[in-house]
Amino acid sequence: MSGNDINRRDFLKFMGLGGVGAATLSGCDMPTTVTLEEGKEKVVSYLAPEEYVIPGIGVWYASTCQQCPSSCGIHGRVREGRVLKVEGNPESSVNGGGLCQMAHAGLQSHYNPDRLRKPLIRKGGTLTEVSWKEAWAVVEEKLAASDSAKTGWMTGTVSGHQAVLLDALQEANGSNKHYVYEAINNSVGESVNKAMLGEATPRYRFDKAQSILSFGADFLGTWVSPVHFSKEYAEFRTGDRGVLMVVEPKMTLTGANADFWVPAKPGTEGVLALGIANVLLTKHQADAKLLPASVRKLISEYNVAKVTEVTGVGGDSVVKITNHLKNHAPSIVMSGASAHEHENGYFNATAAMVLNILLGNVGKTIESSGAMPDVKLASKTGSSSAAMRLAADADKGALETLFITGANPVFTVPSYVGLVDKLAKVPFKVSLTSFMDETAALSDVILPLLSSYEDWGTTAAAYQPTEKVIGIQQPLMQPLYAETKGFGDVLLDLLKIQGAEQYGAYTDYYSYLQNALYSLPASVKQGLSDADFWHDSLKKGLIKVGDAKGSLSVKTIDLTAPSFEDNADFPMVLAPSARQGLWDGRLANIPWLQEAPDQITKIFWDSWAELHPSTAKKFGVKEGDVIQVESDQGSIEAQVYIYKGVHPDVVAVPMGQGHENYGRYATNLGVNPLKILSPGTDKVTGEIAAHATRVRISKTGKSSDLARLGGSETQVGRKLVSTVSADVFRRTEGGGNVA
Amino acid sequence: MSLKNVLENWSDYRKTHEDGGHHDYEHMWGMVVDLNKCTGCNACAVSCYSENNLATVGKEKMGKGQGMHWLRMERYWDEPNVGGDEKEFHERGASFLPMMCQQCNAATCEVVCPVAATYHTPDGLNAQVYNRCIGSRYCSNNCPYRLRYFNFYSYYEDAWPEPLNQQLNPDLSVRDKGVMEKCTFCVQRIRTAKDTARREGREVRDGDAVSACAQSCPTKAITFGDLLDENAEVTKLWKFHQVELGKTKQDKANKELRGYRVLEGLNVDPCIMYLDRVREV
Repeated sequence: MSGNDINRRDFLKFMGLGGVGAATLSGCDMPTTVTLEEGKEKVVSYLAPEEYVIPGIGVWYASTCQQCPSSCGIHGRVREGRVLKVEGNPESSVNGGGLCQMAHAGLQSHYNPDRLRKPLIRKGGTLTEVSWKEAWAVVEEKLAASDSAKTGWMTGTVSGHQAVLLDALQEANGSNKHYVYEAINNSVGESVNKAMLGEATPRYRFDKAQSILSFGADFLGTWVSPVHFSKEYAEFRTGDRGVLMVVEPKMTLTGANADFWVPAKPGTEGVLALGIANVLLTKHQADAKLLPASVRKLISEYNVAKVTEVTGVGGDSVVKITNHLKNHAPSIVMSGASAHEHENGYFNATAAMVLNILLGNVGKTIESSGAMPDVKLASKTGSSSAAMRLAADADKGALETLFITGANPVFTVPSYVGLVDKLAKVPFKVSLTSFMDETAALSDVILPLLSSYEDWGTTAAAYQPTEKVIGIQQPLMQPLYAETKGFGDVLLDLLKIQGAEQYGAYTDYYSYLQNALYSLPASVKQGLSDADFWHDSLKKGLIKVGDAKGSLSVKTIDLTAPSFEDNADFPMVLAPSARQGLWDGRLANIPWLQEAPDQITKIFWDSWAELHPSTAKKFGVKEGDVIQVESDQGSIEAQVYIYKGVHPDVVAVPMGQGHENYGRYATNLGVNPLKILSPGTDKVTGEIAAHATRVRISKTGKSSDLARLGGSETQVGRKLVSTVSADVFRRTEGGGNVA
Repeated sequence: MSLKNVLENWSDYRKTHEDGGHHDYEHMWGMVVDLNKCTGCNACAVSCYSENNLATVGKEKMGKGQGMHWLRMERYWDEPNVGGDEKEFHERGASFLPMMCQQCNAATCEVVCPVAATYHTPDGLNAQVYNRCIGSRYCSNNCPYRLRYFNFYSYYEDAWPEPLNQQLNPDLSVRDKGVMEKCTFCVQRIRTAKDTARREGREVRDGDAVSACAQSCPTKAITFGDLLDENAEVTKLWKFHQVELGKTKQDKANKELRGYRVLEGLNVDPCIMYLDRVREV
């Protein structure tokens, strides 16, 4: 070392600081490194690292994903106090080790540069940043002066102890106005399941099924619990591989994986189901004695010719579907958004369930999924009718105070509802959110919440058929911003304002939650001490709470034949399809998800309008042309993508884009098809008939290259994706003959 | 090594992948992608973005083909998109193909690099040394799969505004303009697994190293592992489907087995085996 200015001790000091510098500077993209020469020595050394922090070593902590309502279990990798990566929790019965792209992108929700860092209150008409204390003083003052029975809450799906606290709060308020709103929901299906099976969300046994017929239930993408169903789908497709058939107006991710994809005229899915029932009864001697005479009579009216006339689906296709269902028994028939969101949506879902009864699936491939032993923790799943009820209540002055969290109704509710004007009649509105969005912008107070990676909570997934668990949401890192608070903490504070005495003892939501878990039944705690049980729960990320067994009881309900009208002015139907990616638009502010090409069209960072080649030809448009899609409520413009995965009478525009106020990544990008929906709700459930809007399209004369992945739409003869028949597959890999 | 020696013992040095390759490999990391299970959901791709510090480049640059998606979920339709006269609809759905660097053992990208920035490691990986790369882009020009991505700009300047940069994975670098990058089979995860095994005084076991895409797949369509490990799941699958490394054309005893390598006939010897998509006739 002689002749060198640096000695060993200096060298080690330098290395130590350098290492810490990299950690403290958070990321290695910094163009400069901290050097002693520059004198930037205000670096806190890890001489005494925080507990469990080992510089350079990532530690995985369990938590629960909050990106969509499915509640998948996650592990978050934490290094030097920052969460860097999320993976699926292999222990979780919801998702196993897998995750969807939306879950991975939760990181960019958490670290989003547009997150609210301080509360805002309306001062002289404009929202102004204030301290939490000041904002909270406004809330307290307003609540004291208002009628607590006129306090409403609009939330997304809630469950677990947040739901318990929210219920307690509303009880203390003397109000029952809790609107659980989800634009992407299975509400019609839940109603039908409840009426016909006695359970809103039964268990679908993909592992036992040999065929699945889905009427628009995009279970791989957006329906109920996509990662869970993806896991089951893999099982369904291995060994003696099952057959998947999908009927929908626009190809979804599930449709893209179908063996047989069929578009029916929008809204006629139920008729097609009855047509299949007709073939089952006439050709396959299915047992119809479970069905009432009126339903049997209705089925008999829908012979193949009549069904083809109504649905536009060829007779050979009807027979093909029926044969698959019969030859690959047992089967499952499902229904989802594109079949539900019509005035006859309830009829469509009922007709699909009639097929399950006829095929003998109930009890075989559709079973009871049981219930949470403690119903107070169970998931409150959302509906779109909740937004309609909110609008009506606001309009008639039934609300003096409205809290909104986990929902952005101003963005997702159709314009015709006039929600903005109606919300203006609510004197005091509080948004609990991490981001400025269209709804928060109309609020009087915005309280910034912790991100889901900073907050405490528990969740009970709506669909967890194999075992019931309470999912633990635990912070993966310290809050980024001081002036933010957890949802549970805000609820507790509100309860304290209401003078709910039993909550006064809890200093924060953490202590409430800890106490709540301590007081779980001994059987759940499995003989562990309180402290051990708590640590065990955090480590696993979930608590198995046992299952309240249930059973399904088949009840058939009457069906009345729907009628369909043509509309010469608006000859086409709009399909505002859900993308697994941007969801209902809440994830549009995440750059990874904007840059991730749509699974079907491979378009990124924009909206588009899908047309069938024959329709495109009729209107003389080619890919990239901008068309106007016009309903009686307004119009939107989007570039055309042409392919054979959409019904010729349908123009599909995905939802999620078209934000006006949602941060740098989402604002002024694309269009929001939900804005031009025409009035209409399902006759039975009151759900918004989002897939029933009649539109007409016209050319605008504008055109440019469509920004999408890849140059070629086909393989041009190259064997990039090779395909074999299912028969070959069953021969080589069926019957347990696997690697 | 004198030139004379090289010329006299030419056959010793001219060891192609068909003769076992130019290394005594310690590992041969390989993959199986089951297109029967893959639903095209894109979870793998976003998992890759979060693991490997991939920059988002925005609509305009994505439109020019400058997206940095190391794992690209390709989607193909069965027939010509417009005007095809066979069927009215895509009634057999779509064909999805997750494409990431195929880690070829006879990689066409390696031999054209003027500065040896891309080379083959004793792990069987096609490595990219960012510090050595001068941005000639010969490698990307020579990749038959188009799976190399060039930093035309300093994407990092816009991709991670504060505090998004806090998410960056410190286990690997953020690349600046002028540098080529591509899928590394999550080499940092492999390194961690090897370090852990060494610290524990044992061999690397199957499952120790899992790439981010394979880990995240909801249907477990991707299997990752060491093809030199007899007990590895990935090795068993290659054997079952009678696909072997070092061959231009597979000579399968059972022609119906699904395993194949994309563009195998080019003789680049990729380490990823795909399994046929399956459809009911």
